[in-house]
Amino acid sequence: MTRFKELDPILHSQLRLAVVSLLIGIEMAEFTYLREQTGATAGNLSIQITKLKEAGYIEVTKKFRNNYPQTLCSITKLGRQKFAEYVNDLKDYLNPDQK
Amino acid sequence: MENEEKVMTGEESLRIISEMINKTKFDIRQGSFYLLFWGWLIFVCSLSEFLLKKFAGVGHSYYVWLLVIPGVFVSMLYGFITGRKAKVRTYTGMLYMWIWLGFFIAAMVLFIVHSKSMYSVAPYILLMAGLPTFISGFLIKFKPLIAGGICFWVIALAIFFAGTDTYSLGTSIAMLLGYLIPGYMLKNRVDHDAV
Repeated sequence: MTRFKELDPILHSQLRLAVVSLLIGIEMAEFTYLREQTGATAGNLSIQITKLKEAGYIEVTKKFRNNYPQTLCSITKLGRQKFAEYVNDLKDYLNPDQK
Repeated sequence: MENEEKVMTGEESLRIISEMINKTKFDIRQGSFYLLFWGWLIFVCSLSEFLLKKFAGVGHSYYVWLLVIPGVFVSMLYGFITGRKAKVRTYTGMLYMWIWLGFFIAAMVLFIVHSKSMYSVAPYILLMAGLPTFISGFLIKFKPLIAGGICFWVIALAIFFAGTDTYSLGTSIAMLLGYLIPGYMLKNRVDHDAV
């Protein structure tokens, strides 16, 4: 039996963690911005965004700008809370003696 | 970003978090345009007013301030275009925008209140302009801008006691120290970072 609290499986994935880490410091970001910053493919990013949205960690708004579809992502209150918990769990995981 | 199913270590998680958070810093280029644009505009207006009045004896030298009206439209147009192009909205960027918009509204109120005594408005405008400049300096962690804000306050105080004859020259100096010098330093830092 592990003495560590298990890390949130929704956030403990490279791309999903990257997306939430980006959104934590900004009010809103376009899908294309998230793709540029993470270097992910559109397909993979789209799948991970859907998973985060279904978990309630992020909010996705679809709009039109100059007749082109625009996808805007922002972090939710739950997402913020889960990210803070993840960082705390990570600290315990990396420095177990400090507990 | 690699396949999401790859097992991550704790160190990797930390690296991703810090790397991504660093990418979301406020784009300081948004700041340097307004500082240089308004710095030059007000500098030219105030210095022209001073020179026309002092050396050419022009009675209505304050008409040069009409240049501010198209300046407001240019500023709004720039803000509208860059806002539409932006792919991301940072909290710092939004705060930066609201602080300067607040100053603009307060300045308009001041102009209306002092519409019959416009000549006396300079120290109050400098006093108010110091605040967003000072706060912006802290927001983007840029000391020359913080110093610029303090310069506005010192010059506002100095010209208030020195009398109305010094208002336009004092405003020119304030623009130089408060907007233009920090504005060019900020622009150089952005260009240097971009290399």
